Amino acid sequence: MKVVVDRNRCTGIGICDSIAPDIFEVGDDGALIVHGDDFDSEQVAEAVRSCPARALSLKD
Amino acid sequence: MTIQTFGNEHPLTTDKDISSETFWRQNFQERDQTFAWLRKNAPVSWHKPLENPLLPPEVHGQAGFWAVTLAEDIRFVSLNHEQFSNALGGISFRPLLPGMFPPVSFLEMDPPDHTRYRQIMSAAFTPRAVARINAKIEERAVQIVSDLVGAGDIDVVEDLSAKLPMLIVADMLGVSESLTHTFATAGERLIGGLADPDIRPEGVSLPDFIGEQMRILREIGVDLVSFRRTHPGDDVATALADAEFDGRRLSDDEITSVMQLFSIAGNDTTTQTTSWSILQMDRNPDQRTWLAEDFDGRIASAVEEFVRHASPVLQFARTATQDVELGGQQIQQGDKVVIFYCSGNRDETVFEDPHRFDLSRGRTPHVGFGGGGVHYCLGNGLAKAELRALFREILTRLPKLEVTGEPELLFNEFTHGIRHLSARTN
Repeated sequence: MKVVVDRNRCTGIGICDSIAPDIFEVGDDGALIVHGDDFDSEQVAEAVRSCPARALSLKD
Repeated sequence: MTIQTFGNEHPLTTDKDISSETFWRQNFQERDQTFAWLRKNAPVSWHKPLENPLLPPEVHGQAGFWAVTLAEDIRFVSLNHEQFSNALGGISFRPLLPGMFPPVSFLEMDPPDHTRYRQIMSAAFTPRAVARINAKIEERAVQIVSDLVGAGDIDVVEDLSAKLPMLIVADMLGVSESLTHTFATAGERLIGGLADPDIRPEGVSLPDFIGEQMRILREIGVDLVSFRRTHPGDDVATALADAEFDGRRLSDDEITSVMQLFSIAGNDTTTQTTSWSILQMDRNPDQRTWLAEDFDGRIASAVEEFVRHASPVLQFARTATQDVELGGQQIQQGDKVVIFYCSGNRDETVFEDPHRFDLSRGRTPHVGFGGGGVHYCLGNGLAKAELRALFREILTRLPKLEVTGEPELLFNEFTHGIRHLSARTN
């Protein structure tokens, strides 16, 4: 599964970063960096679900 | 594009009153009986404007507002900033006259202006930035709670809840230790003066009182940013000093408005959440025990419930930029739309037994930090870090903390507030 970031929606709130810090990192400019490209963990799924801006989705 | 705001008339959609002073003088639970009815029967409903004897409808000219009461609809409004603007008519549920108050910085902007401001700030609020100042937050929390060990009778609000947030706002901005107290006091008075007429000295008018606090915040902010232009540090003042819009530096007014937003948004919200959570843990000792049993494992979930249950900010307003249908109602361009976080956080379709204080709910889709989108609370991570640090100290150093009286409540339509809460520490 890949994580897709909708850049028009993401505001760098960082809930994903606090749930799965190894995968998600909000940079100092507020832009989200996703480390890696193939995910299959409940942690990442939770981070995607918890995005208050609904900017994250999972894709095969 | 010119859009006429707040003038469209609509027929009342229910006979429920959420506009009168009488309604807002009830407590949170009493008010939620009306909100509960609206959630069930009329989740989006039209009401007369908020009553204000000092500024009657024939003066402010507003026809009314749409009340949005379900968590999902609050989220919809929050996520769709193109349709629901913060800039067009401001964010005040209470009718104001144009120019009565200066805009609350980037909270009263829409993208793309909002985006440029928010980006200047965002570096200071990323999870990693908050982690970097966590040691400072913990140090401050230890100091505040240590001072109360053996203190006996205290006022929870003044002696405990209100202390940490303003110190941390000062730390983040980069206010020097020698000015921190002056800064914190001005911030507290600014908020207090707006929310509670009783804190003003006799004979001082509200505009004078607010003006004096703003002057102090402005002086500290402008001096600090100007100092940071030649002596950069690792703080928000340095970010403001470096910021350029279209090749020009921020003006003193822009710096002041950021200082104002910081002291309002970063201060009373966390203070109120702390006071309510202390009260709720006192009333629900099983919850306190549950948290203390595995603090590190449970505090993340507990903090979410602190914020949901306290709902420190009751509502914000938006203005419809176009006609839009929501909850079966036809909202018209220019209408005021008020999103009631207090109602969304008691939405029984999302939260089982919504009035229960249940720290084990886990991560819930509450709207205590807002409904998502571009105006979602920038300081949410900071607030969580403060609550975590403070409650760790409270549970370990003040295990016998006991509330000794009924809370003295603050009644207004914006803050879910406690003015005083008596307690004993030992």
